[in-house]
Order: sequence, then C-alpha cells, then structure tokens
Amino acid sequence: MATLKLYGVSTATCTRRVATVLHELKVPFELVEVPYKNGEIKTPEFLKFQPFGQVPYLDDNGFILYESRAICRYVAAKYASSALLPTEHQANALFEQAASIEFANFEPSASKAGLQLYMSKQGQPCDENVVKEQLAVLEKKLEAYELILSRQRYLAGETLTLADLFHLPYAAYVTYGGSDIMTRRPNVARWFNELISRPAWLAYQDGVKTTTVY
Amino acid sequence: MTLKLYGRLQSTNTQRVILILKEKKIPYELVEVEFGQNNQPERLQFQPFAEIPYIDDDGFILYESRAIARYLVAAYPEHGPTLVPPPSVGVKAQALFEQALSVEAFNFYPTVSSILMERLLKPFIGQTPDEAEIATLTEKLDTRLAGYERVLSKSKYLAGDEVTLADLFHIPLLTLFGLGQIDAFTNDEKVKKWPSVARWANELVQRGSVQS
Repeated sequence: MATLKLYGVSTATCTRRVATVLHELKVPFELVEVPYKNGEIKTPEFLKFQPFGQVPYLDDNGFILYESRAICRYVAAKYASSALLPTEHQANALFEQAASIEFANFEPSASKAGLQLYMSKQGQPCDENVVKEQLAVLEKKLEAYELILSRQRYLAGETLTLADLFHLPYAAYVTYGGSDIMTRRPNVARWFNELISRPAWLAYQDGVKTTTVY
Repeated sequence: MTLKLYGRLQSTNTQRVILILKEKKIPYELVEVEFGQNNQPERLQFQPFAEIPYIDDDGFILYESRAIARYLVAAYPEHGPTLVPPPSVGVKAQALFEQALSVEAFNFYPTVSSILMERLLKPFIGQTPDEAEIATLTEKLDTRLAGYERVLSKSKYLAGDEVTLADLFHIPLLTLFGLGQIDAFTNDEKVKKWPSVARWANELVQRGSVQS
C-alpha cells in the first residue's frame, strides 16, 4: 500500500489546509510539488486529474480526490478513530452548520483580504480598497463568531472538529499580513490562538513537506 | 410538532431548503421573516449572523441552508429520493459526494452570486451594476463551466449517476440566470462549449420540486 500522495504547492493555503489535517491525524503523506507558474495546471494532462485546473488533489493508491475540504473529510472518515468529524445525528448537524459557517461567513472575506495582505507582505502590489472593504465584512462576521464562541469552546460544540481547522490558512494570512482582527475579541482570540499553536499547523510554517514519520 | 422554517420565499437560501423539503415530502411551516428583520434580538439568539433561513425542529435549531439540507436528508431517509450516497457505499463514494458539494460551494456559488448581486441586488437598492466586474466574473464563470463539462461529460450528475444534494444545491441560483442575464445556457456559442452542463442545468430546473 503506497503512501498517500498530496499534489499541491508547498506554500499554498489549500494545500496547507489538507496537510494540517493529515498531520493532526498522523497520516503519512508525500507532497508532490506541482509547478504552476507557466500554466502547467491548465494543461490537458493536469485537467485529467483536477478538471478545474486547481490544487491540491490527493492520490490514494489510484483514488483521486480534489477540493481541500473534501480531502480533509475523506481522511478524517477513513481514520475513523478521530473525533474531527462527528457522526451522531445532532452532533453531525451542528458540525455541518459550523463547516457551512466557514464556507459562507469566513472564507469569502478572509480569503480576499488575506490574499491581498499576504501579497503586500511579500512586497507585491496589493489592493488597499479590497483589504479595507473585506476586513469590514469580516469584522461583522466575527461579532457572530464571538457570540458563538462565548457559549462553547469550538464552532461545532465542545470538541475540535474539521470546521475549526478549515479556518486556519486564511485566518493566518490575515494575521501574517498585519491585521489584528482575529485577536480583537476575547473568545475569538482564545479560539484562534489555540488553533494557531497546534503542532499540526506549526509543522508547515516553512511550507508543506513530505511527512512519513510522526 | 411540524418543522418550522424561518425565512423568506424570495431568498435563494430559503429556496434551497424548501426544495429539499419538497423533494423529501417533509411537512413544514414557513414562518416569514420580513426583509430587514433578521437582526431582531429574538432571532439573533437562534441565528447569530442575522441571516435566514434557520429551522426549529421540535426545539433543535439549525442554520446554514446546506447544513439544514443534510440534516433533513439524514432525518428522513425513507421519504422520497435518497439524495446522498447510502452509508453502504463506503468512504470513497462518500468522498466523491463531498468533492461535488465542495465544487458547488467554491466553484459555482461565489461567482454566480456575485454576478447576481451586481445585476439584481444593486438596482434594487439604488446602485449601478459594475459592468467591468461583471465581465471579470463572467470570464471566471466560463472557466468554471469548462471544468463542469469535464465532469458532466463523464457522469450524469456531479457525484455519479444518481442525483444528489450537490446537484440540487445549484438550483436556486440557476433559476435566476434569466433574470440575472447570465447567458451561459442560452447563448448557442457558449452551449457548444459545455453541452453536458447545459443538459444537466436544464434538467435540474425542470424538476417537479422546482416547478411546483
């Protein structure tokens, strides 16, 4: 049985999202760095694996899967000893609610602001208007997060789930780019600081890399 | 106690839930929340983002239309079509279903809803649509639809040969393509580029649960 292969970009948000979950679950994997700067991921050869021309995708002994959150869910389900994806009826519903909150209420503004702030930190041109506009949107969303997290430890309840971990890449980009938006409110700060200190997140500070021993 | 759905008929997110309730033939009561009334304190305690819809299923409160849909399908497996892979199919088939759901959420919904916001919401609130932005978004949508074609030219639906929630989640926005002047499936030149997607989209909006 060959090791899982994660085809991605070592510095990319979505690749790191998957790597973080693989690390949390102590699943060995090989990172296969995909070249992308010259349109390689738009070629017919690549599109056969990922029809939208995006990274990452997973190759589990010939089983191909894309969409970082779907890959995370697959890995969590396969290694069923993890509580990262609750299965009991109501706990599962609250998990799905939390996962949908991340998709609908965090990712849109955090990714737009985060990407601009990251580029600015890398010395590249950055659109200040987008940053201002999107951080204003995120600010309002985090008011609701504060309310939720004042009542419970994590987004889906008292245990950590994939829904919390999904936030890491763009929450980190926004913070790395110089905004303190994630630490302005006591409960959001508590939750964010715990996530950002997890060994699984810290492991890939310098980029995602092949991990076969934990 | 009959399931209560708090929302508005004009809201595409509420429509997403109503669609599943109809597909699964689940009795429900729609409690109309007037436009601008989402952030009343008695609602914020249930939906902290001041959004609709949310459900009250005998005291169990749940929000986020896609989460509600999943919950309903799990709660009523014997009603109507299954709409999700049965547990017996195993982790891989389940994963392909999650992949399809993620495609809707990240490769369809954000771009299409942004176009519709420009074309439909802005005029409603007295603003002018940004045509340059619409052009950029349309180009992005076209690239995505090419991706959909690669998938749907090989399988009848997004997760395989059976319709699932992943397909149905697209319907509320698909029904607004006409009003929103999105010509992806009416412009002959475009349809030639993604005939399977056009077939799939047209079939979805013709479903009984949509037409009723």
